[in-house]
Amino acid sequence: MTRNESAVSSRRKFLTGLGAVGAAAVAGCQSTGDSGGSGGLSGSIDIAGSSTVFPLATAMSEAFRGDDVGEAHPNVDFNIQSTGSGGGFANHFCPGNTDFNNASRPIREQERQQCASNDVEPVELTVATDAVTVIVNNDLDIDSITVEELATIWSAESQPEQWSDVNSDWPDEPLELYGPSDASGTYDYFIESVLHSGDEELSHRQDYSGTEQDRTIIQGVEGSQYAMGYMGYAYYSTNQDRVKALAIQDGDGEPVEPSLETARSGEYTPLSRPLFTYPAKSSLAEEHIAEFARFWLENATSEQLVAEDVGYVPLSEEVQQEQLDALETAIEEAQS
Amino acid sequence: MATNNEIEGFGRVSRTIGTVFRYLLLAATLVGLVFVTILLVYVAKDAVQPLTADPAWHLTFFLTLVVPTLAAGAYAYRESVEALRTGVFSVGFVVVALMFSGGAAMIFVDIVEPLTWLAFLLALAVPTAVTAAVVSYDHRVPFAAQFLATVAAFYLSLFGIPGPLGSLAGVPTLVPSLFDFVAGLPLAPAPWLMMAGTLGPPVAYVGSQYVAGDRDRRAHVLTGAAVLALVLAGGALGPFAGVDPVPGVVVAAIGLAPPLVYTAGTAANRPTERTGLVVPATIVVGSLVGAAATDALGFAGPQSWVDWAFLTGSHSSTAAEAGFYPAIGGSILLMLTVAVLAFPVGIGAAVYLEEYAPDNRFTRIIDVNISNLAGVPSVVYGLLGLGLFVTYLNQPPGTVLLGGATLGLLILPIVIISAREAVRAVPEDMRAASYGMGATKWQTVKNVVLPRSFSGILTGTILALGRAIGETAPLIMIGAPNVKYSLPAGLSEAASAMPLQVYAWSSLYASDGFYEQAVPAGVVVLVAILLAMNSIAIVLRNKYQSTE
Repeated sequence: MTRNESAVSSRRKFLTGLGAVGAAAVAGCQSTGDSGGSGGLSGSIDIAGSSTVFPLATAMSEAFRGDDVGEAHPNVDFNIQSTGSGGGFANHFCPGNTDFNNASRPIREQERQQCASNDVEPVELTVATDAVTVIVNNDLDIDSITVEELATIWSAESQPEQWSDVNSDWPDEPLELYGPSDASGTYDYFIESVLHSGDEELSHRQDYSGTEQDRTIIQGVEGSQYAMGYMGYAYYSTNQDRVKALAIQDGDGEPVEPSLETARSGEYTPLSRPLFTYPAKSSLAEEHIAEFARFWLENATSEQLVAEDVGYVPLSEEVQQEQLDALETAIEEAQS
Repeated sequence: MATNNEIEGFGRVSRTIGTVFRYLLLAATLVGLVFVTILLVYVAKDAVQPLTADPAWHLTFFLTLVVPTLAAGAYAYRESVEALRTGVFSVGFVVVALMFSGGAAMIFVDIVEPLTWLAFLLALAVPTAVTAAVVSYDHRVPFAAQFLATVAAFYLSLFGIPGPLGSLAGVPTLVPSLFDFVAGLPLAPAPWLMMAGTLGPPVAYVGSQYVAGDRDRRAHVLTGAAVLALVLAGGALGPFAGVDPVPGVVVAAIGLAPPLVYTAGTAANRPTERTGLVVPATIVVGSLVGAAATDALGFAGPQSWVDWAFLTGSHSSTAAEAGFYPAIGGSILLMLTVAVLAFPVGIGAAVYLEEYAPDNRFTRIIDVNISNLAGVPSVVYGLLGLGLFVTYLNQPPGTVLLGGATLGLLILPIVIISAREAVRAVPEDMRAASYGMGATKWQTVKNVVLPRSFSGILTGTILALGRAIGETAPLIMIGAPNVKYSLPAGLSEAASAMPLQVYAWSSLYASDGFYEQAVPAGVVVLVAILLAMNSIAIVLRNKYQSTE
C-alpha cells in the first residue's frame, strides 16, 4: 500500500514539476520566424573536374565566401571534387550532377554529345593559363630539351630505354619516367602539343609511372637521379628547390624556361595552355551560381589570387572581357 | 622433472628452441603494434608540436599535473586496485563524454534545429504512448485493430493526412502531421529551453536511479533535481563563459552530467572505490592550476596545429588556416546514418541465422558468403554504391544518405558476424529454461536472447563503425566532395568526411604546409575520435564479460 501512496504522491509532484517547467517554457517563448534574414545569396555549388584547375577553383570559392575580395557570401557552400577533366565530364557533369566542370583541355565532341543527350549545355570559360613543366632531378646535368627529344622520350613508337638513346651527349643511364595518368587533361594536352607536334601523330608510351597525384611525380623525380616527369606549373612553382625544370626549345628558337612571364608573353611554346571551367547553362539560372561564375572571371586577372596563391598565369584584360561577355550572354539566356 | 630424467632413454631435452619460439611469438605480437605506435607518435609530434612550448611550460605542468596525478594514482592503488581502476575509468569517462557532447552540440547547432528536434521527439512520443495504451488493453482489442491503431498513430503523427501516399497521387495536405504542426508553430520556447527540456529529464532520471539507487524518494528527487539544475545552468550560464546557450545545454547534459553522476554514484554507493576519485580530482585541479600558472607567468604553450580554430574552421587554401569542422561533422552524420541503417538489418540477420535458420545447404551457403563479404575490398563497395544508388536509382552523388548506405553495406557483414557471436554466447540453458516455462520462440528471443546479448552486439557494431569511419575509397567512388565549407543541412546533401579530407590535403595540395600541418592534425583528430568510439566498445565488453 505504501508503495501505491508514494506512487500517487510522486505523480502529483511530477505533475507540479511539469507545470513549473511548462510555465518556465512559456516564459522563455519567443517567436521562431526570425532566422535567415541576412538577405545574402545562399545555396550550394557542385564542382568537379581537372586536378590542375582544382586549386584555382578552391581558392576562388574561398575568396567568394570570405570578404577579402568583394562582397562576402558565407551562406554559399561548395562541394569541390578533383576527378580529372575527362572523369568529371563523363561521370559528373554530363549526367547533370554538377554545376561546373573544370578542365585543363577543351571539351571533346563526344563529351558535348553526351552532355546534349542529357540536356546539359556547357558554357566554355577560359580562366587562366598554365605552363606544363618538364622536370628532372637536380643532380642531372641537363638544362634544356628540344620538343623533338621530348617527343622521342615519351612516344610509344620509339620507347628509348636510356638517356643516351635520345641524345648521345646524355648519360648512359636508364630513363625513369613519371607523369599524369590518362584520365588527366595534362596527359591529353602533352600528347597534343608534343607528341602530335611533328609530321606523324605519335602515341604516348604506357611504360611510365602514371598517377593523378602531382605530389607523387615530384617525389619520384626527386628520389632518382635519372628520372624525368611532367606536370602543371602550379605544383612545380611551390617545389622549385626540390626538382629542376627544363627549358624547352621549340623548333630553331632559344630554349625558354617555364615561368609566369614566359607563359604570358607566349614565348613558352608549345607547352603553355589555357585552363577552362564549364558551367552548365541551366545552372546559371540560379543567382548564386551565376554570381560565382562572374566572381571567378572578375578575379581571373588577379595577380594575388591566380599567380601568387595558386601559381597560374592570370588572364589578360582583353580575354577577361571576352569571357565576361560570353558569360553574361549565357546567363541572360538561362535566366530568361 | 627429476623423475623424468631418471627414465632410461629419455635424455636431456634442450629448452632453447622452446624459448626462441616463445620470443618469436612475442615479436610477432608486437611488430604491428610497435610500427603503428611509432607512426602515431611521429604524427602526433607533428600535429601538436610539443617542442615549441617553453620548457618552463612543460615544467609547470609536470609539477602541477603529472607529479600529483602519479601520487594520487599510487595512493589509490595502495588503497585497492579497484579504487585505481575506478579513478582511471572516470578520467576516461570525462574525456569521452566531453568529446561526444561536442559532437552532439555540433549537430544541434548546425544541422538539427531545436524546434525540429522537439517536433520529432513529440511526433514519436505521442504514437508510442498510444501504442502502449493499446497494448495494455491487450485482452479486449483484437490484434488486427491493435496493429491498425498503432500504424495509424505513427503515420498520422509523422506524415499527417494524406501524407506521402497522397502527395504521390497529388492530393494536397488536409491535416498536417504532428511533426509539421509542432515544427511550424509560430511561437516556441527559447531553443536552449527546448534542448534542456528534451535532454534534461532523461539524464536526470537515469542519474537519480544510478546515484540514489534503492534509497528513499527524497534522495531520488534531490539528485534528479541537481542534474536538471546542472543542465539548465549549462544554458543559463554558458553565455558568461563564452558558450552559446544551446551548445551549453548539450555539453552540460551529455558531457558534464554523466561523469558527475558517475563520480557521485561512486562516492555514495561504493565506499571501497571512493579513494579512486582522487585521481580525476587531481587531474582537473592540476590542469586548472597549471593553466592559471602558465598564463600568469607568461610561459608559452606548444604551437599545436590541433587547436580550436582547426576544430571549428573549414578548409582554406593556406595550410595554417585550414580547419576540419565540415569533415568532423560529415563523419558524425555518416556514422549516425550507417548505425541507423546497418544496426537493425545486421542484428535481424544475425538473430535469424542463429535462432531460426534450419541447418541446410541454403543457410550454409549464406553463411560462407557472409564471411566472404566481410573480406571484399572497400573500393568494390564504393563501386556498388556508385552503380546502385547513383547510376541506377539516380540519387545525387556524395550525399550523407548515399555515403551512409554504402558504408552501411560495407560493414553489414562485420555487424552480422559479431552479432552472431554475441547471440551464440547466450547459454543454451537459458533458452531451455525459457522454453521450459512455456515461452514461445519469439518470447524467448525478445526476453532472453536479445537482452542477454545486447551489449555484445553493441560492442561488435561499434567496432564495425570504427572501420567505417576510416574508410576513404568508397567515399571517393561515390563522389563525395574533396572540399566543403559547411556542414550538410540534411541527409540528401553532400558531405565531406575526415579520412577524405586528410586524403585531399595530402594529395591535392602542393605546399608542404598541408603535408606537415593539416594532415597530421587531421589524423590526430580522426584517431582520437576512433579511440573514443572503441573505448566505449571495450568498456561494454568488459562489463559484459564480468556479468557472465
